[in-house]
Amino acid sequence: MSKQQVQRKRKKKTAGKGKGNRGWLGLLIKLSIVAALGLAGYMVYLDAIVQERFAGKRWTVPARVYARPLELYAGQKLQQQDFITELQALGYRRTAAAQRPGSMSVNGSQIEVFVRGFRFYDGEERAQRVRVRFASGQVAALSRADGAALPVIRLEPLLIGGLYPAHQEDRILIRLAETPSYLIQALTTVEDRDFFEHHGVSLRSIGRAAWVNASSGRLQQGGSTLTQQLVKNFFLSNERSLSRKLNEALMAILLELHYDKEEILEAYLNEVFLGQDGNRAVHGFGLASQYYFSQPLAELELHQVALLVGMVKGASFYNPRRHPERAKERRDLVLDMLAEQGAISAEQLEVAKQQTLGVTSKGSLANTSYPAFMDLVKRQLREDYREQDLTEEGLRIFTSLDPVLQQKAEKSMAEAFARLKGRSGIDQVEAAMVAVRPGSGEVLAMLGSRQPRFAGFNRVLDASRPVGSLVKPAVYLTALAQPARYTLTSHLQDKGFSVRDSKGRNWTPQNYDRKEHGTVFLYQGLARSYNLSTARLGMEVGVAEVLKTARLLGADHDWPAFPSMLLGAGSLTPLQVAQMYQTLANGGFHTPLRAIHNVLTADGEPLGRYPLHVEQRFAAAPVYLVREAMRRAMTEGTGRSAYNRIPRDLRVAGKTGTSNDLRDSWFAGFAEDLLAVAWMGRDDNGKTSLTGATGALQLWSELMRSASPSSLSDQVPEGVTEVLVDPEQGLQVIEPCEGVLRMPYMVGSEPDYGYFCGVSSSAESADEEGNKVRGWLKGWLNRR
Amino acid sequence: MNKMMCAVLLGVGVLTGCASTSQREIPVVESGARLSPGVLRDVGDQPLVVDSRQENEPVVTVMTPPEAGMPAIASGDQPAAVTWGATEDQKLFDEPSSTMSGATPSVAAATRVPDAPVQALLSTAQQQRGKGDLNGAASSLERALRIAPQEPQVLYRLSEIRLMQGDLAQAEQLAQRGLSYSSGRPALQAGLWDLIAEAREKQGNSQGAAEARHKARAFM
Repeated sequence: MSKQQVQRKRKKKTAGKGKGNRGWLGLLIKLSIVAALGLAGYMVYLDAIVQERFAGKRWTVPARVYARPLELYAGQKLQQQDFITELQALGYRRTAAAQRPGSMSVNGSQIEVFVRGFRFYDGEERAQRVRVRFASGQVAALSRADGAALPVIRLEPLLIGGLYPAHQEDRILIRLAETPSYLIQALTTVEDRDFFEHHGVSLRSIGRAAWVNASSGRLQQGGSTLTQQLVKNFFLSNERSLSRKLNEALMAILLELHYDKEEILEAYLNEVFLGQDGNRAVHGFGLASQYYFSQPLAELELHQVALLVGMVKGASFYNPRRHPERAKERRDLVLDMLAEQGAISAEQLEVAKQQTLGVTSKGSLANTSYPAFMDLVKRQLREDYREQDLTEEGLRIFTSLDPVLQQKAEKSMAEAFARLKGRSGIDQVEAAMVAVRPGSGEVLAMLGSRQPRFAGFNRVLDASRPVGSLVKPAVYLTALAQPARYTLTSHLQDKGFSVRDSKGRNWTPQNYDRKEHGTVFLYQGLARSYNLSTARLGMEVGVAEVLKTARLLGADHDWPAFPSMLLGAGSLTPLQVAQMYQTLANGGFHTPLRAIHNVLTADGEPLGRYPLHVEQRFAAAPVYLVREAMRRAMTEGTGRSAYNRIPRDLRVAGKTGTSNDLRDSWFAGFAEDLLAVAWMGRDDNGKTSLTGATGALQLWSELMRSASPSSLSDQVPEGVTEVLVDPEQGLQVIEPCEGVLRMPYMVGSEPDYGYFCGVSSSAESADEEGNKVRGWLKGWLNRR
Repeated sequence: MNKMMCAVLLGVGVLTGCASTSQREIPVVESGARLSPGVLRDVGDQPLVVDSRQENEPVVTVMTPPEAGMPAIASGDQPAAVTWGATEDQKLFDEPSSTMSGATPSVAAATRVPDAPVQALLSTAQQQRGKGDLNGAASSLERALRIAPQEPQVLYRLSEIRLMQGDLAQAEQLAQRGLSYSSGRPALQAGLWDLIAEAREKQGNSQGAAEARHKARAFM
């Protein structure tokens, strides 16, 4: 072979050998390219998930439901203690001097409050310091802390509950700017020191954790960054496998690619799991702050912040209510770490460590404190909004609930049953009560059962029961609207009678006491709740007319036109009764009862309003006359035992109601600014031993006693005039004397002058039963 | 070989490009819009945000309230140059305590409710109305009504708002309610009857409107 030939051969050989080597390498490269492509593809897939979760999917935030905001003004009827109760419910802390928002100081009858402020539908109340002085159950003076005049101010409304979606998550979203001092520092110090430097995964943290775990022999530290924790919380279950860890790491990196540190931090603050309340999870620092401290996050102090940050590691393990010592240890450790890093001084450390945990005794997620009222709110909302909007879009719903009155109502319920204890069968008796502001139709308080805090059968809304004598005002209103025929002192015959219906059956009404009372004044038929005279009157004006009056009043009934309806055989729920009596209490002006004032979106944009709506259904004059009869029911009639509880000078009007066999005990009554309907009975419709007076009236009077509403105005409306009449004939008298009655009449229907009192030969008074009418005047009586 | 590498790199590059997008905000809020600070507790000072959206009602009419003895200037007659705001401390229908009809109780009984908060809220309502925020004005008036349910001035103003919003039936009803509390205050009664007249007119009830105007004049 020639040299060239050998060379070529050698080249060929080396070439062949090189090709072989390159073959292996080539394969490796090809494989790694495939792997890289695979990884890239997988990353794309993960990335899609990450983006979808953060960008596309919304944070589901339940709707928040608020009570009415407490308005303050000089001259307001408000007990100092009630004011303090409201402030405490709002999470105001008692301090020596109200220096920060959310604090109050009490000096005798003067209270200084640093009001937090709130953005309402119709304007903003700024945070500011105000001074309130109380005297004789009133706000005597209201001013700003610097002395400037303050005519009126609203406190922020109390959060009373939320509307939760099926998965029961809840949040109070916070922005980074709203976080209290030290929160970010504490969080990064404890959980992720290199947060602001790394790109999703921190090799340093992993290394450190590995070292610590290895040297201590057990898993002590996690090397996860906040970003990784966020990913874990957001997407992945609690599985702690290696593949999970890898996924987590990849997704964390992707997250950091898309979003900056602030955004990730904010999301973390709102996502991190910080506790469990029954079947509801507490996510995010905003909600945790409310749940543990009843305070907004921005108000928290160093030691409180440290506690929450410490709980990130294990919210159940470090639950400050269940494991206070553990929680305190953990908190102090966090404080130590902060001091170590130089974030806080040694004195701050000492002071903070000396603080107690400071958590409230129970969580105030406040979903079930007012179940009956919330039920009404939900029903009213569901008429206008979809379930999804209600439970996921973070709507803010402002209601009319008066939490102070609600509390009084609950106490009244307990009191009333305490006093009824021992009566036969009282343990099976249930109850319901609803309180309404007559002028505006706002529902102020609601008790759906004897145990108001338990959500269950809501009797106010769903217990439709025979109303008994509660229907009688409809009879009398129908009559009194015809002043040419009937006045309050018209004579009625309280005598037995029978009516035959189309099927040939007899209806024979009876009085409660099975007696006849002879001739009585029309108002007495109502005040004493006589069945016979009422039924006769009802038959005279016509059952259909009475039913129409009831409907016009607002009783949303479908009763058939039977005579028995005149005595309340028909059924209504307590709320329907309240609607009916609202028109009576509001001078004939019907206002639909409402629990909601308005609804805002999460951003505070108005979404819906439920404005005041009035409709005059009856003239003021006949309504006033009925009201007068109902007022006398309280002073001399079936409601008079109310004055065992309420002050004598409180003018109220009301009506007892007792259905057949004492199966239902009702009372509906009102003062100037408060109307309440109470019911007692058995769910199985069995007999109780209670009448309207011995049962429901007791509940009602207890409420009125503690609520101390304003007396009914004694202002007589246009078209009505008051005159003096004698107590026996109802004729006008020239001069007042013993036993004379002051009675209102529609102008033009006043009785004739007649009976000259003081001349009578007997000392009979009009208020006693068995009042005999002098025979020789009978002929002069005409049905006016 | 080089070509392959380039192709792969390009491919990976493209894929990574597909994967990433420009920096975007994580919407921490529910509907993608900005979360307003102080959702629950507004700690810091926030600038007053006034809703200046116009409801779809025609012209914002400002009625000059009739002082005692002066005829009312009905909206629509002339665009009122005088706004109410100038006299916001003044009571609407300022009248002396009634000594007119002896039988009816004095107005003092009806005004036992404190004055200052009601006036403050009336004035707030006027401001809101001036800015076109009729719903806000109505809200403020309802607040005033909670404090003083029988104050006819508040019902007068609320009736006006409803007129402006085109809710004529409610305007009439609210004015009627106001009337039931206005005994002994003829200027107020006249004003309320005028509102009723306007509401009825706009509902096509000309006869009722004429009756109401007649009643209004009887009080002046």
